[in-house]
Formats: sequence, structure tokens, C-alpha cells
Amino acid sequence: MAILELEAVEKSFPARSGPPTLAMDRISLSVREGEFLSILGPSGCGKSTLLQIAAGLMAPSAGTVRVAGRAVTGPPPEAVYVFQQYGRSLLPWRSVRDNVAFAVEHRPGMSRARARETADLQLASVGLTGFGDHFPWQLSGGMQQRVALARALAAEPKILLMDEPFSAVDALTRLDLHRLMLELWEKRGLTVVLVTHDVEEAVALSDRVALLTKRPSTIARVVETGLPRPRDAVEVRETARFLELRHELLDALLTRGGHAH
Amino acid sequence: MRRPTSGFWLVLALFLLWEVSARTGMVDSPNWPPFSQVLAALARDTLSGEIPLLVGSTLARMFAGLAAGTVVGVAVGLLFGASRLATRVLGPTVELVRPIPIPAIIPPLVLFLGLDNGMKITIAAVTAFFPVLTNTAQGLRAVEADQLAMARTFGVPAWRRLFLVTLPAILPYVMAGLRVALALALVTTVVAEMIAGEQGVGHYLVLMQFAGRAEEMYAAVLVLALLGYALNRGFLWLERRLIGWFFATGRDG
Repeated sequence: MAILELEAVEKSFPARSGPPTLAMDRISLSVREGEFLSILGPSGCGKSTLLQIAAGLMAPSAGTVRVAGRAVTGPPPEAVYVFQQYGRSLLPWRSVRDNVAFAVEHRPGMSRARARETADLQLASVGLTGFGDHFPWQLSGGMQQRVALARALAAEPKILLMDEPFSAVDALTRLDLHRLMLELWEKRGLTVVLVTHDVEEAVALSDRVALLTKRPSTIARVVETGLPRPRDAVEVRETARFLELRHELLDALLTRGGHAH
Repeated sequence: MRRPTSGFWLVLALFLLWEVSARTGMVDSPNWPPFSQVLAALARDTLSGEIPLLVGSTLARMFAGLAAGTVVGVAVGLLFGASRLATRVLGPTVELVRPIPIPAIIPPLVLFLGLDNGMKITIAAVTAFFPVLTNTAQGLRAVEADQLAMARTFGVPAWRRLFLVTLPAILPYVMAGLRVALALALVTTVVAEMIAGEQGVGHYLVLMQFAGRAEEMYAAVLVLALLGYALNRGFLWLERRLIGWFFATGRDG
């Protein structure tokens, strides 16, 4: 069953002169409940824009977004958006614990104490036990992204919309976060939509990969990875199927520049 | 720099020069009492409770005005940030009023608000208003769009976003404006006291001058110097406590 549906979504931006520039041309995509889907595309193809539209943070110029069957007009309660620049989305004046508590403390009937309890629990699940009293800027990039992840999970979303969440950390930390991500996804039965320009990341983590073209972007094709579950984010990279997909998708991105035709 | 530096010794030397110049007749004037007599007058009036009372009343008016001016300054700054129309309509007026030296509005203000607290608190408020307004507007431009979008994705309502994201994010800028305002407000409050009414350190200073009591007059000047210094130190302390994150993250540039 589709939990997130994009139907003929278009986005154009006003140009300095002349008609508005079309950034996204009738994108339709259906995300199944519980799946891990990556949206892969070249830089500047509007992947983030697409994800922000799905998250209800930006209105499409045309088309509809439905989450759990309801048309999206603002951020839906089922979905949480995880930002690329963790350093910019964390609140530097709040401790790590209070940053995570921020996701839930406004909810009716939620006491300060319970919000903090929830925060500590989520921090433990991303391996940050004992860091609650630190401030975000005292932590490494990888740890800050874990805080952002814990904050997203605290809201108990059905869908995580992740905008290149691992692009700003070093390669080793990235693999570490990939493993954590798969573990959390499996344990919690999340639906994840991950935007990335990293082919290996997309293949290693996903059930399906949607390939986006350059602007005006549309979906060139959607590939089922068919890789086994549960899987290890590192070991899966040594399988023949992984290499085959990697080759195929890289080829599509490079030689055709991500064009649909 | 905890240890006294050479600058500190210069201060001591100047006080000593003051003392010597008055005692030896280098400066021979009833208006130039030795520094030790000024200190004695300061000690006497402090112990009698007169100076603490004067300082207290001056500070109370100044802080009441600063608080009011800050609240209004932040509110108008937020309005400017939220509405281009407000900026276009009110902006030119603000730019026209801002350059008026604040002591210049004391005489007309006296006509409307009288000589006492109302007028002086208003003067301090107007002093705080402009730097706070400018800095609020500047701070709003520096608020991270991601932080606001983040709050939206968690379903945080707009008024909570204002109090939990926008206001904390602009606090360092408001504080910078307030620091300017604090120094100015001490000046304008004391000037207001000197010009009108019978309140505070400013009035005391003028009164002692008229009475020809030079020791007390200088004592009042010393009190104001110490007050200005203490306020600045206190403010720096408060800044470190409230917006330490701002300096730690290097956002201050």
C-alpha cells in the first residue's frame, strides 16, 4: 500500500525576466509503506525541492502529494524531514537532550520531564547515551547527525524524508551511519525516502532507487534493487547484484547525464 | 588579564597627581579639592545611605526605560521583518527620528510628561528603542531557515516557533543592541535628571555644583564612572551566560 504518493508534481520558480523556469516536470512516484526508497540524481536536479514538497514544507506549482491517503497542504504528522545541514537545523542554544525533546515537547499532555525521558531513550537508540547535557556544537559532525536522527525518531514518524543526510561527514562515519540507519529502519518499520547523489549509498540501503534527470527533472526510471534483507550496509557492497546496479546507475548518471531519453 | 597592568598604574598616578596638584597649590581653586577629600565625601554620603538611594533611583528609571524600549524595539523589529509594508510605511519615519540627539527631546517631553519618572523612563526607553530595533532587524536576517522549517516539520505551532526558535536566535543581536543602549541610557537618564526634576544622581550632581560643594560634585562624577564600568562588566557577564553558544559556534564572526 502506498503511504506517500506524488501525482504529477510540478515546480517552477519565477525567472528574473520572462516566463517562470520549470524545475520539475510532472513527477509521479508512489512510496510503499515500510520500504526504503532512494531518489538519486545529479547535483542541482531539484532532489531537495522534491523532498520538501513531499514534506509539506513547500507547495508544488501543480500536482498533488498524498500522505496516508490525505492531500498534503502543510507538514503532515506522519512524516518528518531530516535536513542535510545538521549543523544548521540543530538549535545551538539547546543541549543535545533538549534538541531532541524539541520534537515532542509542544504536544498536548507532554510534560517537560516526559519529553526529556523520550529524548534520552532516542539518544540511546542512536548510540549517544551520556551526551544529553552536551551542546550540539561540542560534538563531531557524525554525532550531530545522530542527534538530528534521534530528534526525528522522537516524533515517532511513519515516514522519514532524508535530504542527503550523510553527505557532510567523512567516508567512514558515513558507513557507520548507513548501518545505524538500516538498523533503525528494520527495528521500527519506518518508511524512508532518501535523497542522495551517491549511487553506492542509494543501492546499499534501498529497496528501490528512483533515478531523476537533470532540470527540468522527471523520473527517468525506478529500479528494484532486489538485494536481500536484512542486509549489512558494508557487506552488501561486495555482492554481484550490488556491483551490477552500481554500474548500471552510474552509467545512467554519467553517460547520459541523467537525461530521460 | 587579572593582574594590574600598566594602564592601572596610570589611573593611580593620575589620582595622585590630582591629590598633589590640589595640596601643593599647583591648581589653587575652591573648585579643585584634593582627591582624598572627594573620596571622604563619597564614603560619607555612601555610608549615610544618600548615594545608594540616588543610584538606586537612577538605575530603577534607567532599567524600567530600557526594558520598555527593548520590548517595543523587538516588537517593531519583528513587525519589520514580517511585513514589507510595515517597513515601507514606518521605515522613513524611523530614519527621520533616529538622528535626533535624545537630550533634545527632553524639553518638549517635559511639557507632556512632567519632570518626574514618566519623562525620564520615556527618555531611557527611546534611547534603547533604536539600537534594539536595528539589531533585531539584522538578527532576523541571520535566523537559519532550516531551524524554522525543522520546527514546522515537527508540527510546532507558529507562536511557539516565534518564542522557541526566532527569539532565541536573534537574542545575540538584541543583546548587542542592548549593550549600546545601556551605555547611552546611562547618559540620557542622567542628563534628563540634570535638566529636570529633583531626582537621582544627575540632579545631585547639579545641586552640588550650585551649592559650591565641589567634593560632593566630584563624588557624584566618580559614582557615575564606577556605575558605567560596573554596568558594562555586568552586561558582559550576562552575555556569556545567555548567549555563550553564539560565541562558541563562531557566529559572531
